[in-house]
This record gives sequence, C-alpha cells and structure tokens, in this order.
Amino acid sequence: MITAEWKPIEEMVGYLRGHRKVLLIGCATCVAECAAGGEREVETLAPLLAMAMQNDGNPIEIVSATLERQCEPEFVASIAEQAAEAEAIVSVSCGIGMQLVADTYADTPLYPGVNTTSLSIREEPGLWTSRCAACGDCVLGLTFGLCPVARCAKSLMNGPCGGTRENGMCEINEDTPCIWRLIVERATARGQLESLVEVKPPKNWSNSPAGGPKRMLREDLRS
Amino acid sequence: MESFQPEVTLLYCRQCLASGAKPVEGRRAGEGFSARLVVLPCSSKVQLPHLMRLLQAGSDAVQIAACPEKACQHLVGSNRAENRVKYGQDLLETVGMGAGRLGLERGAGLSLDDLLELAGRRAEAVRALGPNPMKGV
Amino acid sequence: MSLKAGTKLEKVLAAGQFALTAEIGPPRGPDTEEVLKKAEILKGMADAYNVTDNQTAVVRMSSIAGSKLLLDAGLEPVAQMTCRDRNRIAMQSDLLGAAALGLKNILAISGDHQQAGASGKLKGHPGAKGVYDVDSIQLINIIKNMRDDGVQAGGDTLSAKPAFFIGAAWTPLGPPVEFRVLRLAKKVAAGADFIQTQAVYDIKAFGEQLKKAVDMGLTEKTAILPGIIVPRSAGMLRYMHNNVPGVVVPDELIARMKDAADPAAEGLKVTVELIEQVKELDGVKGVHLQAIEAEELLPDIIKQAGLSPRPEV
Repeated sequence: MITAEWKPIEEMVGYLRGHRKVLLIGCATCVAECAAGGEREVETLAPLLAMAMQNDGNPIEIVSATLERQCEPEFVASIAEQAAEAEAIVSVSCGIGMQLVADTYADTPLYPGVNTTSLSIREEPGLWTSRCAACGDCVLGLTFGLCPVARCAKSLMNGPCGGTRENGMCEINEDTPCIWRLIVERATARGQLESLVEVKPPKNWSNSPAGGPKRMLREDLRS
Repeated sequence: MESFQPEVTLLYCRQCLASGAKPVEGRRAGEGFSARLVVLPCSSKVQLPHLMRLLQAGSDAVQIAACPEKACQHLVGSNRAENRVKYGQDLLETVGMGAGRLGLERGAGLSLDDLLELAGRRAEAVRALGPNPMKGV
Repeated sequence: MSLKAGTKLEKVLAAGQFALTAEIGPPRGPDTEEVLKKAEILKGMADAYNVTDNQTAVVRMSSIAGSKLLLDAGLEPVAQMTCRDRNRIAMQSDLLGAAALGLKNILAISGDHQQAGASGKLKGHPGAKGVYDVDSIQLINIIKNMRDDGVQAGGDTLSAKPAFFIGAAWTPLGPPVEFRVLRLAKKVAAGADFIQTQAVYDIKAFGEQLKKAVDMGLTEKTAILPGIIVPRSAGMLRYMHNNVPGVVVPDELIARMKDAADPAAEGLKVTVELIEQVKELDGVKGVHLQAIEAEELLPDIIKQAGLSPRPEV
C-alpha cells in the first residue's frame, strides 16, 4: 500500500490560520490501511484540529468526509457541495488523491495533512515496512523476492556493505534487517548462493522517478 | 478557579461493576465536579473519534473505567483501550488541550460511589488545566 | 611485468615487497597546512596514503584536493571515492580530473550512509539525499573499463585512457559471514587490484576468512592489505567491537589493554604484534595502518615493526 503519516498538527495549524470553514477529507483505501487517512483518522483529526485552532486563537469550523478512493474522479466529484462551501480543503490521502482534489477544486486552497512516505506492507499490527521503491526496473527475480532497492539503505545491487551489525540488522536502523543478509539466507536455503556471485551492472534508473515524470500510455485502452 | 466545577464524562465497562449492581447512566453530582456516566459493554469499545468528539463538545475531561488487566472479557480489550488513551493523550498535548483531559483507570467490583470517585480523580487532574476552551464554542 | 598505473604502491606489490599504506583524513576546512602537517609527520613512512572521502558523512576537504596536496608534498595518495554523494556522471568526471592531476590510486567504496554519519559528535547532514546511483562493485568495474577499454559506463569512448590502480574495501567478519568472501570475489572480478580491509583484531577469525580467499585463488589476483587501527585504550576497543559493524575484538585483547599501566604504549605494542601476525598469514601482501586523528603515533610503530625504511622501487 501507499503509506502516509500525519504532518505535525502545528504545521496544519499554520496552513489554516485565517480560514473559518475547512473541509477535511480522507480516503478509505491505502491511507486507511496504514491508519493515517481513513474514516477513523479523519474523525479523530477533525475535532483535534478544531481544538488546536481554538487554542491558537483562530476558531474554525471543520466539515469532514472520507472518500472511497480519493484518486478516482467520480468519488472526488461527490464532495462538490462541501468543497464549494469550504474556504480550504485539508486532505489526509496520499499525494495522488490530494492532487486530484486540488485539480478538481482548483479555486480552493488544498493543504496536505499527511506526508506520503512509502510503498509498504503492514508487517505486524501497527508496523509498516518498505517493500517497493517504484524503481521501474524490477530485480526481484535476481534477489530471491527481496528488494534491495527499497530495503537496503544504499540500494546496493551486489551484496551487503560493511555496515551489517553483528545481529544481522542494518547499521542505520537497528530494527531493520540487512536485506542482503536475508537475500543471502534465502539463496543459501535454496542452494543457489552462487547465483549472487555474478556482478550486477549499474542499474537503469530512467524508468524510476529519477527519470522524470512518468507518462504511461496504452493506445489500446484509449478511446 | 475556585468556582471551576469540572464536567467529567465517565465511560465505564459494565464488567467493572460489583456483581448484581445495576448499570447507572446520566448525570451525577460529585464533590466539586459533575459526572456524566456512560456504560460500555467493554472498554475496548472506546475509539479515538468518540473521545475527541466528547472533548470537542466541551467535556472538561474524559475518564475511562476498564477491568483489571487480566480480567477483560475480550482478553486484550482493556489493553487496547489503554493504548488508545495513551496515543490520544499525546495528541491532546500537541493541540494544547493537555494530556490530563483523558485518562483510564482499572477497577473491579465497583459501586456507584467508586465510579464517582474515578470521575473525581480525573476532575482533580484537570483542575489546574482549567475549563475546556471548547466549552460553548 | 606490465604495470597498470605504475604507482609506487603497485610497484612495491609487484616486487613482492610487504606494502604499507596509512590514512590521512582531510580537515573540515580549506586549511592546507593541516594536511601538510600530517604529510610532514608521515612522509617516507608508508608507500601510499589514503585520503578519505567525507568519512562518516561529515563534510571535509575533498579527497581529490587532499590527494593532490599530498602528491605535491611528495607523498603518494590513494584517493578514496564513495558512492554516496555522486552519480556515475560526476564520479567518472572526477576520475578523469583525478587522473589529470596525477592521482592514480583510487579506492572505490560504498561510503558511510548520510544518516549513520557524524560519529555522534558532529551534526553531519542526515537530511541529505543519498545518491547511490551505482554501488562500490559497479564503480570498481566502471574504473576498470575506463582504464582498460577507454570506455565510459554509458558506452561513449574516452579521448585517452586514464591509468588507475584500483582498490576496494573488504569487511571479512561482517555478517552474513558466509557471503563475505564471495563479495570479495565479486570485487576482484569487477577489477579490484588491491584490497584494504576493515580493522582486524581477531587474527584467527580473519585467517579463516582469508584462507577461503586463498583457496578460491583470489589472493593471486588481488593484493590484500589487512587494516589495523592503533588501539589507544580498552574503551576504544570495546566501542569498536560493540559499535563498528564488522570489527571483532577478542576479549583477551580488551583485557590486556585494560590491565596495561600505560595503555598508549601498550597500544603501540599491540599494533606491532598485529602487524607481525598478519604478515605471517598466507595471502597477505601488506598492511593498512590507521591512527585516527593521531597520525603522529605511526612513525614509531612502523619503525618498531621493522617496516622502515620503505623499499625503493
């Protein structure tokens, strides 16, 4: 899923000063799964923001809604009425949903209530960890289904750096396993450690965000 | 501040009551505070949105009465409630409301007087914070 | 015998002499006298001197500039290059620049992550965007292809081939330990002419890893120089054992330093003994000595270890 995390409420307060009526919108898809922007979080944040603005000396009315999918125009269209009445919109969906809302209601300021952070999995209740970096050149077939691009702090392609801790965790985060240690373990378990000995050439990053904005076109699907 | 009579919302798990005691709801006056009692089937039923809405609506404090740690009918229900309360307390602190406006205490075999005492303890905790700034907004 | 770059380090190794490299960390400022002071202390003591590339991700004078200062002072540098701060375009450009300035020994490493940096004392730049366009093994191979084929990573040709003697790092005792020798093999296959290792204190464990490298024939293709960091106290050794990944310090050594009446003098003795022990190991071609921020300790150690004067080649 796409994960997001609440921005500091102080930052949201900074955005909202001077507005009297605000629409807070969430999304019931990825950001609900990562407990940042689903209905529960929207309905927690709405009263909190109202209290924060009151204490800031800028009382505000907050109307809230949680869309099924904030990245689909038909769902975003469903809040037209509330959007028309609001002086500003705060969105706690990912940056994709936020921008569709900003485009759809371009006359109304849109403020982010979250930072979009990663493509992660819910590993345990209350714990999300990276799985994908959208690098555009998938290597999982060479790395036993474990991604070194997203899960190695240096995105190394040829094995672990010298920073693997004695307990097999990453030097820069003691709670994150060295992914190359896991790759080596899985390769060993399959009896294919030798397959990791071949030198992998420099990666082609042109199909990743580094290559510029994505424009994916499928002529057969266009009307 | 002498005249500040905190209004506490007490959400209590019905399993906390003394056996045979009839659940009580509604307003009760205490010594220097008032309490609104709301019965829950289990403390795990409390969710952050409810807690925040109660405070937004002007309640000076919210106290939750949960069963002792090992006595929860849903095993981990009261622990979940406790975790949510801790998280909510941090949020309340960041918005300038004060963490003390929200609390959870555990108890078993409680009478109405015991419930009022729990509400009273939360009232004391918010006395220094003063009335909820959302009151009357 | 044909040499790849003809550096002093390469010649010493080619002549079958026991090589000695040391390290000089550039200052956190533009002051050349800092570099030259260290150069003065160490001149003639080692065959070549590593100049670190913003080690611990703290901004310092660039490795290439520091290397050039050493070269002009009559010391042969090993310019370190990390993958943290530059993409393949910048790295190849800097390599051509280094070659133009006469720098021929290059050590290609991943580099300390920007968030692991600053050694706890300085702020560093934890919010910096790490680059890691290529990894150290890919960089080794890029340098080799520039040198041997006169071709850039993207396929364009170079107008002239730069002469490089290519170095790489090795952490023999880091987990997963069973892969470390294979990773060394990858570095050798990519083009590493010499290897400087993470600090070695556990000679037995290092010897076991080295034996695997010997058995794989790697020591025929590359020159391994075990790293030794001069210990100055029991606390320093304990810190490294607990906090520096891949550094294993035997308990006896920590106890010995703890019991020493004069830990500094004991540290010099320990270093000399470690040099003598690694010298005995099959497959070791030299030693890489570091006395972090205490370079003045090195001349005595080098003399006591019988490694002075350095061979003329």
